[in-house]
Amino acid sequence: MLNIKIPTRKEIIEKAKSEGKKIAAIYPIHYPRELFRAFNIQPIEVWGPPKTDTKKANAHLQSYICSVVQSGLAFYLEGHLDVTDIIAVPHSCDSLQGLGSIFKDFIKPKQELVTIYLPREKNKENVKFLSSELKNIYKQLAEFCGFKPNDEKLMEEIKTEEEIDELVLKLYRSRENIPLSSREFYTILRSREYLPPDKFKSILEYAIMHASKGKLNKTGVVISGLLPEPMDILDVIDEIDGFVAIDDMACCMRRVYGKGNSNNPFKRMAERIINGTPDPTKGNSFDERFVFLKSLTEISRARGVIFYNVKFCEPEYFYYPILKDKLNKVGIKSLMIETDINEPISQQTITRIKAFIEMLKENKQ
Amino acid sequence: MSLKENITYLLSYKIAGESLIKWNTKRAFKNFKPPKSWRTDILAPPLKTGVFTKEIIAKHYLEGRYVNGVKPVAWVTSGAPIEILKALGFYILYPENHGALCGARKAALEISEEAEKKGYSMDICSYARTDIGSTLSKKTPVGKLPKPDLLLCCTNICQTVLYWYRVLAEYYKVPLIVIDTPFVYDEAKEHDIEYVKKQLEASIEVSERVAKKSLSFAKLKEVVKLSKMAAELWLEIMSTNKNRPAPISVFDQFIHMAPIVEKRGDPETVDFYSKMLNEIKERIKNGVGAVKNEKKRVLWDNLPIWYKIKFLSEFLAEHGVSVVASTYTNAWGELAPMMEIERPIESMAKTYIYPILNRGTGHKLKTMEMMVKEFNLDGAILHSDRSCKPYSVGQMDQRIKLLNELGVAALLLEADHNDPRVFSDEQAKSRLKAFVEIME
Repeated sequence: MLNIKIPTRKEIIEKAKSEGKKIAAIYPIHYPRELFRAFNIQPIEVWGPPKTDTKKANAHLQSYICSVVQSGLAFYLEGHLDVTDIIAVPHSCDSLQGLGSIFKDFIKPKQELVTIYLPREKNKENVKFLSSELKNIYKQLAEFCGFKPNDEKLMEEIKTEEEIDELVLKLYRSRENIPLSSREFYTILRSREYLPPDKFKSILEYAIMHASKGKLNKTGVVISGLLPEPMDILDVIDEIDGFVAIDDMACCMRRVYGKGNSNNPFKRMAERIINGTPDPTKGNSFDERFVFLKSLTEISRARGVIFYNVKFCEPEYFYYPILKDKLNKVGIKSLMIETDINEPISQQTITRIKAFIEMLKENKQ
Repeated sequence: MSLKENITYLLSYKIAGESLIKWNTKRAFKNFKPPKSWRTDILAPPLKTGVFTKEIIAKHYLEGRYVNGVKPVAWVTSGAPIEILKALGFYILYPENHGALCGARKAALEISEEAEKKGYSMDICSYARTDIGSTLSKKTPVGKLPKPDLLLCCTNICQTVLYWYRVLAEYYKVPLIVIDTPFVYDEAKEHDIEYVKKQLEASIEVSERVAKKSLSFAKLKEVVKLSKMAAELWLEIMSTNKNRPAPISVFDQFIHMAPIVEKRGDPETVDFYSKMLNEIKERIKNGVGAVKNEKKRVLWDNLPIWYKIKFLSEFLAEHGVSVVASTYTNAWGELAPMMEIERPIESMAKTYIYPILNRGTGHKLKTMEMMVKEFNLDGAILHSDRSCKPYSVGQMDQRIKLLNELGVAALLLEADHNDPRVFSDEQAKSRLKAFVEIME
């Protein structure tokens, strides 16, 4: 246990407002934090949140739309995003595409609505395309905020994010030596969803500094999916002497981008997102995803992979059967768990996770 | 290309198969009469030119059985820009159409279960499950599907196809071309169109390599011309339903749209739709309506429920309801004017970014509102399709707008285009009955 005090979302929003910053509510998954920060906008990400009453969203979305999108809309309709000035909806999947469109055409929020299209294929044109897309968003934000940050400011913010990405990777590498429960570890990592960079950076540095003061002698697993919600899932893993050694999650590892090469800020932001880790919503190949998952298990010395899938999330569903087979062929066991972020974890799920970790432990011996 | 494959293709398809199918068509045309189960008391007889739909599709799938090794084979998504492949001589298979065919022949469930057994979730698109199930088990009602040499996936209908085609690429180990079409919330931006154009240009090189020949731009223009002509004819056919009574129901359109999807760019498709248009004009002249006692006219939104076409068609006709317009069938005609024969690649980039499924929910509402006015409609059935999120998201708001702003009855009908497990006859009947009563 480390003595880390992480401010709440509410505290961050209040502070940002008192400093005259604008607040952007950002839906999943990929977006350039640095672009918003250059406009003195504080991004606050909306991943659900879990355990939301989705009744109000049911007037706009069918029941077969995933709970992340349902909750995200319900959260807005309940007025919890009234404090924000901007709503940004990246085009991560068909359901989020629909959410962006419903916002624009029917709900018509009082906030400025920003949509972001992310190219799906790795080719020589997509960096160029995404650069243009980001320039368009820059223009929209400039008009909304009434000023235009220069290239120098953009590059400064990009480099700050690149530095933080490096630190996040360092934290992941030290995971086994950090005396934190899985819940604590992911509470730190996920605070990036709303913390300003300096605050998040200081928390990371503190955690890394204490890396050698304890060692986890537990069975590590990789968790793959959108997000570890409800976070009780992490407690279930820990309870049986397991821990999440590393992740392949949309809210965490899949958004740790590498450094860009270009000196043009828009191109650099585009390079970072496009060349990031494999992600089903980006349409990466099975080989790319398999190699990445395999390397995660090797680096973290994890014993198996838990695919933690939000029900109705098509991108994740399609990859599972082939990835499972590929991992199995190289001796990496996996387990598929389906979740609804608004429902408590079922006893059946708990039993399956426990049995899986027990099996991994036996294999280890 | 082996001699044996060529000879088999010639003998089994070109000489024996094609001739037999043509002979059957000729006979069916000459002795045309509705099938025994056809409800002639409430429906007009099927279109006589429908025998050619059967011929085109039968020939297409029969050719598919023998085509490997004779022509390069591409599997493509339904909204994909196929003109380049056509001009390169590819045999083109549409897994979605095959899925629809499996659905209509009530074979989709058994085939989908083959995918589910391998771990594919019941919550993924039922076309994808049908196709992956067929790939894994080789089960298909058409005998045999050709293996692809190339996969072409265009995201202008959904993102699902991207993951689905990744699965196919993994199984077949063949090149996958992705044409990524940015979603159009309002109007496509200049960089959106440029991005699609560049991808189309890049696709030529890969396609040429697989086809082992160079693209002839003269041939491409010819294909674009034929594609445009067929789409314009299809559009005209759909427009004939502005007449009262409507001469062809949307359920008929679902069946007869197969060639515009599957055989776009072929001269025989143009010929086929010309014949069909003539027959429909004849119906109009004679005052023949698709539904004999047309009292109410409605719109269909979203994909068909393939395994319930007959059920829905008859149930609605019994109540004097004719389904006369559809956002779905319209999608294969509405963009025809955008195709420019002299600027094929540029115009393809524009055309293929604008399908209704790649546009905002507000645009779809406008399309429906336009249809309500132009086709003089009394109501709308919005098929809330579990398997098609991009088509279905927005329907709840669209329904309210249709109801409150246009004053037309609007029903949200929960189902799935290919998975019969989520459809209940009784529930559908009671909901449709209430819908009919509201219109009255």
